[in-house]
Amino acid sequence: MWPYIARKLLYNIPVYLGIILIVMVCLRVNDPASAYVGKSASQEQYDKLRADMGLDEPFVVQYATFLRQVVTLDFSERSWEQKRPVGEILSASVLPSLSITLPALILTTLVAVTVSLVAAYLRGTVTDRMLMFGAVLGMSVSLLVYVVLGQYFGAYWPKQEYGIDLFAVEGYESILKGPGNWVKYCMLPVLITVVLTIGYDTRFYRAVIVEETSRDYVTTAVAKGATKPKIMFVHVLKNAMIPIITHVMITLPFLVTGSIVMETYFNIPGMGRTLITAINSKDFPVIQAFTAVFAAIFILSNILTDVLYALVDPRVRLS
Amino acid sequence: MTIKTKRSRLPRLVLAACILMGFVAGVQAAPDRDAKQTKTLQLPMRTDGPKSLDPAQGSTQYDNMAVSQIYETLMTFAYADPQRLEPLLLAELPTRSPDGLTLSFKLKPGVKFHDADCFAGGKGREVVSDDVFFSLKRLADGTYQYKNWWLLEGSIKGLDEYKATQNASGKAFDYDAPVEGFVKVSDREFQIVLTKPVFKFQYILTMFQTSIVPREAVEKYGKDFPFKAVGTGPFVLDRWQPKQSLSLVRNSAYHEVLYPARDEWNDEDRRRRLHRPAGQRVPFVDRIEFSMYVQEQPMWLQFQAGQLGYTEVPAEYFEEAFDKRTRELKPETSRRGVTAHQDALLDFIFQGFNMEDPVLGGLSPEKRALRQAIHLATDLDEINEAFYNGINEVFDGPIPVALDGHPKDGRAPQSYRGSDLPRARAKLIEAGWPEGKNARTGEQLVIRYYTSNAMLNQQQSEMLKRQIERLGVKFESVMVDFSTLIEACDNRKAPMFGFAWGSDYPDAENNLALFYGPNESPGANHFNYKRPEYDAMYQQILVMEPGPERTAIYEKMRDMLIEDCPYVGSMGRTRFYLMAPWILNCRPTERMWSWIKYLDVDDSKR
Repeated sequence: MWPYIARKLLYNIPVYLGIILIVMVCLRVNDPASAYVGKSASQEQYDKLRADMGLDEPFVVQYATFLRQVVTLDFSERSWEQKRPVGEILSASVLPSLSITLPALILTTLVAVTVSLVAAYLRGTVTDRMLMFGAVLGMSVSLLVYVVLGQYFGAYWPKQEYGIDLFAVEGYESILKGPGNWVKYCMLPVLITVVLTIGYDTRFYRAVIVEETSRDYVTTAVAKGATKPKIMFVHVLKNAMIPIITHVMITLPFLVTGSIVMETYFNIPGMGRTLITAINSKDFPVIQAFTAVFAAIFILSNILTDVLYALVDPRVRLS
Repeated sequence: MTIKTKRSRLPRLVLAACILMGFVAGVQAAPDRDAKQTKTLQLPMRTDGPKSLDPAQGSTQYDNMAVSQIYETLMTFAYADPQRLEPLLLAELPTRSPDGLTLSFKLKPGVKFHDADCFAGGKGREVVSDDVFFSLKRLADGTYQYKNWWLLEGSIKGLDEYKATQNASGKAFDYDAPVEGFVKVSDREFQIVLTKPVFKFQYILTMFQTSIVPREAVEKYGKDFPFKAVGTGPFVLDRWQPKQSLSLVRNSAYHEVLYPARDEWNDEDRRRRLHRPAGQRVPFVDRIEFSMYVQEQPMWLQFQAGQLGYTEVPAEYFEEAFDKRTRELKPETSRRGVTAHQDALLDFIFQGFNMEDPVLGGLSPEKRALRQAIHLATDLDEINEAFYNGINEVFDGPIPVALDGHPKDGRAPQSYRGSDLPRARAKLIEAGWPEGKNARTGEQLVIRYYTSNAMLNQQQSEMLKRQIERLGVKFESVMVDFSTLIEACDNRKAPMFGFAWGSDYPDAENNLALFYGPNESPGANHFNYKRPEYDAMYQQILVMEPGPERTAIYEKMRDMLIEDCPYVGSMGRTRFYLMAPWILNCRPTERMWSWIKYLDVDDSKR
């Protein structure tokens, strides 16, 4: 397994360098200095700013400088917009994002797998159809509608009408300062995320499970007298794990990136909001560092997915 | 039987989960109850909030809002009358020498910086003349990318030379090197010698970028200085979570500043009992908590839930709170004890022309007629109704509401305000483009309009297109991000562009400077309007004191611009504020932000 991982890592180095190269080239299509130069700027001021930003250097030098920072994990360069070290900005944004995305992923996966098993088990019945109808309905409504209604009916209205102050309309306090903070500030965004994403996952998992039920081993199990629940929840579920794992693993890197809409509307200082703000203000140091970190996580999670295949399915061999 | 039992457990489990969550949330709620023992004021900040707490690096309104609580300028505008200057760190307003070149200042005694570990023994020391010189010299320091150098450029004797020498030396910036225009008389008295007797200089000293900072803090904290603010202001920085919240606590050693006296308030304000705490020492509250809101709904709901002291009224919620026709608060809002205030912003919203553009630019009668035709085809009232609930002010000329030179009722003697299509078509013929086609070649007139790609701009561009294309002219919108828009204007590539200017201080000179020839792109004169007669008048007003004579010249310049038509406009926003029943002494204004210290709260009304 280790030689496989080492080889995969080596193969991905050019991919990684390419990603960084493309992002840096794309960012430099337009000059960002004018966004920062301030009111009534002179040419001198403009030139000085470009020099301070390192934009007067040849592109190759800028690329090499950034690669050196990535290799040495030196993210001490300061954000152009926030003036804080990039590493500090990113590390401060990870926990708020994870406070939403991780519980949402766990909840969504647990509920979606359970519902899809039930739906597949009762395939063709009214229950199956109702579950799928609910799933389609959930994913058909815009996220913004959930957010607006969630803030009003989930947070504002219960407090105004009944004095129940369970969820905050917006804001964030770290879970490290008390578990109550998570319920108050993160629970509502988590529930909204679950409601929105559960439809996609349920439909996908149900399709996977239904496909598994037509395999020969299921017929064999029936012939051997295994009960239907045992076939579904033991045999079928285990064999359906590869697509489920693939789906979950693809999602993993996005846990770190957070949700732009959710973080913006709920005023949560996570990665999604940090990234969109950086893009809007052409804050290259933040965008580049974010891309470098995200690309690395994505590549590593792909390798990890392959490893997990081998662990859950003895038929898969890493070579 | 078994199945029944299992089913009956589910509601219990849900209930138990709710109770558990409520309990866990209650753990968090406890500090809130404690916090109510002190007077805490919760206020909103639109957008992501400040980018920096260093005055020298600040530029936005939100930087201003935050910095003005922690730092102070030498002078400010009076809360009761935001047109009037009053001393802040000064004992009295500066005096001018007969030639108007030398300003003499006396610092208020006993003003101390906040306690911080950059000072000996951690105790804040008294503000002295050298702090003023240091703070102003910082704007010349290349370390701060000259972000606010434009405020002082060319105005103080020897400062431009000092800037050039220091930044070219290749060594560390020497703040001890003398500047001819900075004359220290004593620790509490100093003079500033100007290059020209420009009146606007005193307004510059009210701007937050010129706030007084201690040298010790700048040197000790270095690049972290923007996050460890140490000023003389009424509040001390407690915690800043960028893009999320900013908490400030009362400065217990704040120098004596009294609430405006009764006779400083006008009748309307007195009716609203704003004079009630007259003569009392400020600040009144122990703590201020600013929350940043990128989106409007959370801010609106928080205000409705009584969690914010005031809020600006977002356009989409305007009719929820106000009667659109009368602009009065709806009875159901008033009944809750909520009050309202309108603040006319010093805005100049326009669609500019590049006067160097081969088609749209130029001062010949034909070119002028072409721009006038476009102006006449544009219906600003329709834009105002469609996008701003009709609450903006539409006016002629570039001078915002309430400033000297603003035309009476917004209408100048000569105007090209639309929509007046017959007149517009006549002007188009006069310009040699009948029905939008070149009279000689038959070429189609195409206008490329650059604006930033915000949703509102996209919608407004569509309306502009419909209005202007009624003349047979082809109108193409070029939607770009804001920095690209600036770049296009700086490089003179945008034939027509949508923009806005917020006045830096309440003097029309600031707006008239936008058309002063030497300020051409990449300066603030993005119109590249150059007319010697106009420039001569601008030079003249620079050194004039406010008065009828100066106002007459302002009007002459305004009318010259209306006739030459380097832009289509104008419009200015009126900000509507709602105030919670529990906030006291509140009359929001965006002209300065040092008024937060006058606010108080009545927790019994929460």
